[in-house]
Amino acid sequence: MAGENYFKWAESVLDPSKTFDKPEALADIKVVELCTLILGPSLPAIMSEMGATVFKVELPGAGDTMRSLTPFAKFYNEAALGWLKEARNKYHLGIDVHHEEGKELFRDLVKRSDVVVENVRAGTMDRWKIGYRQLKEINPKIIYIALNGFGQWGHYVERPSYDAIAQAESGMASITGFPDKLPLKSGVWLADYFGALMGVVGVMAALAHRDRTGEGQFIEMSQAENMIRAMDWTWMYQHQTGKGRERYGNRDVSICPSDIFACTDNMMGIAAVTEEQFHGLCTAMGMPLLCEDPRFQTHAARLQEENAVALLDIIRSWSAKKSCAEIDKLAQKYGFAAHKVCNGKDHFEDEHLIKRNFTYTVDDPVYGEIVEEGIVPKFSETPGRIKWAGRPVGFDNEYVFRHYLGLSGEKIKELKENNIIGKWVDNPPGRKPPASWDGKSGIRLA
Amino acid sequence: MSDHDKDKKMDWRDWIKESDDPAKAHGKPEALDHLTVLDCSYANMAGCFATSTLAEFGAEVIRIEPTGGDPVRSYSPWGLMNKGTGLGYLNEGRNKFHVTLNLQEPEAREIFKKLAKRADVIVETLLPGVMDEWGIGYRQLSVDNPGLIYCAIYSYGQFGPMAACGKADADVVNQVYSGITGITGECPEDPDHPKPSEVPTRQGNWMGWYAGGAWATAAMLAALHHRVNTGKGQFIDVSPAEAFGRCINYGITYYQGFQDIIPRLGNWDPGVFPYTYFRCKDGYAFLAGFSDINWEALCTILNRPDLRAQFPTIFDRLNPNNMGVMYKEIEKWTSAHTYDEIYDAVMAYNKAGGKGVVVPGKISAPIDTMKTENWWDRHSLQKINDPHYGETLIANQAWKMTKSPPRVKWVCRPVGADNEHVYGLKLGLGPKQLATMKKNGLI
Repeated sequence: MAGENYFKWAESVLDPSKTFDKPEALADIKVVELCTLILGPSLPAIMSEMGATVFKVELPGAGDTMRSLTPFAKFYNEAALGWLKEARNKYHLGIDVHHEEGKELFRDLVKRSDVVVENVRAGTMDRWKIGYRQLKEINPKIIYIALNGFGQWGHYVERPSYDAIAQAESGMASITGFPDKLPLKSGVWLADYFGALMGVVGVMAALAHRDRTGEGQFIEMSQAENMIRAMDWTWMYQHQTGKGRERYGNRDVSICPSDIFACTDNMMGIAAVTEEQFHGLCTAMGMPLLCEDPRFQTHAARLQEENAVALLDIIRSWSAKKSCAEIDKLAQKYGFAAHKVCNGKDHFEDEHLIKRNFTYTVDDPVYGEIVEEGIVPKFSETPGRIKWAGRPVGFDNEYVFRHYLGLSGEKIKELKENNIIGKWVDNPPGRKPPASWDGKSGIRLA
Repeated sequence: MSDHDKDKKMDWRDWIKESDDPAKAHGKPEALDHLTVLDCSYANMAGCFATSTLAEFGAEVIRIEPTGGDPVRSYSPWGLMNKGTGLGYLNEGRNKFHVTLNLQEPEAREIFKKLAKRADVIVETLLPGVMDEWGIGYRQLSVDNPGLIYCAIYSYGQFGPMAACGKADADVVNQVYSGITGITGECPEDPDHPKPSEVPTRQGNWMGWYAGGAWATAAMLAALHHRVNTGKGQFIDVSPAEAFGRCINYGITYYQGFQDIIPRLGNWDPGVFPYTYFRCKDGYAFLAGFSDINWEALCTILNRPDLRAQFPTIFDRLNPNNMGVMYKEIEKWTSAHTYDEIYDAVMAYNKAGGKGVVVPGKISAPIDTMKTENWWDRHSLQKINDPHYGETLIANQAWKMTKSPPRVKWVCRPVGADNEHVYGLKLGLGPKQLATMKKNGLI
C-alpha cells in the first residue's frame, strides 16, 4: 500500500480547487455543432469540458428537440434535465441553415474552426452544400465527424435510428437483463453517450494526425457499430462455439465471483477479480478454507457452471445477513471489490464524488445553481471544467457574430429582420430563459 | 473531367464509401504510430480497452504482464480458453506487443524505468500509490521524461476521501457505483414480493470498464494535444465508475430539483414516451413517437387518431399513469404484425413524406447480429486469421476515417511472446541477458 505521502502529492497536483489557475487542453480548438438530441450534441459537450470553444447551431425558435427531454416532463428552472447534460460551456446560436445566408454564416464559422460535428441523415449536409466535400474546400484542415445510427453507406443507410435501436440491433439489449425477462434497454441513453464519447476519441486521433501533417479528415461513426465493439467477448465466443450469447442476469459468467447481491438494507455489487482478492473475500466471510475447496481453488474451476452457482449462493447467504456498510468495511480491509447500488441522491451527497468534481456545482447566471454529473478525467496540467450550464436558443448570437465573425451591428440587425438568425420562442417549454432571469445576466456584451 | 470535378459530382454515399471504406485502411497512414505506450494494466479491462484503442490507431503498445500473465487472461465465459487465453482478453490483445516483467522485483523496476524514459504514454490500473512506492510512478518517471502522459485508472481515483480505501476495481462495482445499474431493470409488478429478476440490473457487457477505458483514451489524446502545444506531459486520474456515471441522462440534477430519484421502468423511458420495444408476431419491434409531430405520425400509421386526441402533449405522454395505456394500445397493433410488416408500414409512411418520422428497429440476439450482412460489409465484424490463435472473430472500432483510419493487425500474443523483440529493440538485450533475467525471475 502507498504511503500518506502519495495521496497528499496526488491531491496537490490534481486538486480541483486549483482548476481555474490552470490552462485547458483544447483551448485552441473550436467546434461547430449542427446536431440534435443526444448522440451528436454530447460530443462537443465532452470536448468543451476539456477546453474547446463550441458553437452550437440550432434553428431559431424551438431549436433542438432535446430542450424538451426531461423526466416526467418536469423542468428544473425551466430547463429540461436531459438537455442540461449536453448544453454546458457552449455558445448557443440560432441560425436558419435552410436559408442561403444562414449557410453562409455556418460556413464562416467553419472557416475559423477546427472541428465540425453533425448528426443529420447521411448525405443531408452534402445536399445542403455544407457537407464535408464543400467545407474541406474552404478549410482543408477541418476535422468533420458525422454520427448516426448506421453510418454513411451500406444496406441501412436510409434508416433513421435512435439510441434504443442501436442497443437493440447490436445485440446489446439481448445480453442485458434476466433470462426470464425481455431483453433490456439500459436505463440511460447508452449508445448515445458512449457513441459521443468514442466519437471524441476519433476526433482526438484525427487531431493527432492533423498536428503531425496539417491534414484534416472525415470521420463517420455508427452508434450501432460502436455498441458492437463494446460487447467484449461476444463475437469471439459465438465464433468459437457456434452458440449464442444470452442474458445471464447480474452474474458475470466470465468472472467469478462477480454479481449483485442483496444485503439487509440495499443491493451491492461484489466481486473478486484476482486470486488474492478471492482469498480476501473468503477470509472476510469467515470461510478462509473456501479457497482451498477444489471447486473454488482456481478461477478456471470457479467459472464452471455448477461451482459458480454454488459459490454465488454461499456469498448470497452471507450478504443477506450483512448491511452494505458492514460489507464495504470488510472490502476495504480485505481488498475485494464491493459497492452498494447507487442513485442520484447518493451521488448528490457523496463527499468523495463532490471532492473529485464528478458531482459538480455550476453557478449559472441564467439557470441558477445546477448540480450535475461533471468532470471525469482529472488532469494535473489541464483540468476539465464547466463554466456555464447552458443558454436559451440563440442567446449568444450577437456576441459570437460580432466577436468571432466580425459582423457589424447593422448586419446582425438585418439578419434578424430577415429571420436568418433568431432566438427562442416561449413554447414549447425549455427554449426561453426562466422567469427568474433578470433580463441581463449571462449576456456577453457584443 | 478532372478527378476534382468528378469528386464533386459523385453521389455522396459512393464518394464517401470510396474515401473511407475500411477495406482500404491498410494502405493509409496511422494517426498514432509515433507513440510508444507502456500498458501495465492489471486485472482490469478498462486499461486494456484504452490501450487497444491507441494500438488500433497505430501506437506501439508494449503490454507488460507479470511472469504468469495478467489475471485478465482468465476472464472468459465458463472458463473457455483459446490456447490458454480467455476470450475477454483475446479480444483486447489487438496490435499489442506482449512482454513479461515482474515489477515486484527491484531489478525489474530498473528495466521498466529505462523503457519509461523513452515512452510517451503509460497506463496503469494498480491500487493508487503502488507504482509510486515502487519508484516508478509519475512523480519519479516525469523527472527524466517531462513529456510523459501517465494515466492511472481506478474505481475511486487517486485522490478524495475514498482513494485510499483499498477496495478493488471490478466492472460490476464500477457499474453499481456509476448510478446506472440502479435505474436499469424491471420495476417489481408486486412491490411487496419482487421477483429475483426485478432488481437493479447491470449492463450485460463490461460496460463500466469499457466506459473507463474510453474516457482514459479521450483524456490521454487531449493531453497529447496539450503536449504538442507546450511540450508538457501530465498525470491523469480516471475512475471507470465516474466514466460510466457521466453517461447518466439526469440523476444528480433530478435529485437537486425534485428531492427524488429516477425509478426503474424496465424498457420505458421517463423522459421519452412512447419510445420502447413492443412485442410483435415474431419478436420485438422498437417504435417511438415522442414529439407532437412524431406522435401524430405514429397514430396515423396505427390508424388511431383517437390516441392522438387522448394524449395530445408531451405532458400527457410523460405522465406515468398514461404510459401503460398507450403501451397496451400500441402493442395491440404490433402484436398483430410481423416485424417486417411493421418496418414496411412505417418506412412507407416516412417515404411518403408525411408529417413527422417514426423510427423502426428490432431486437437482435447477438447470434443474429452476427448473421447480418450489413455489419460484415461495413467491416464492423471481421474474421482475423491469427498466426497463433487461428481464425477469430473481432469487432472493429466504429470510426471510418478518410485519412488515418484505425485497423486491427493481429489479435493477441501469448504471455511474453514479444520479450525478445521488445527487449532487443528497446534496450539492446540479447538472448544471453534475457536468459539471466528469466533465471532471476524478472521475465
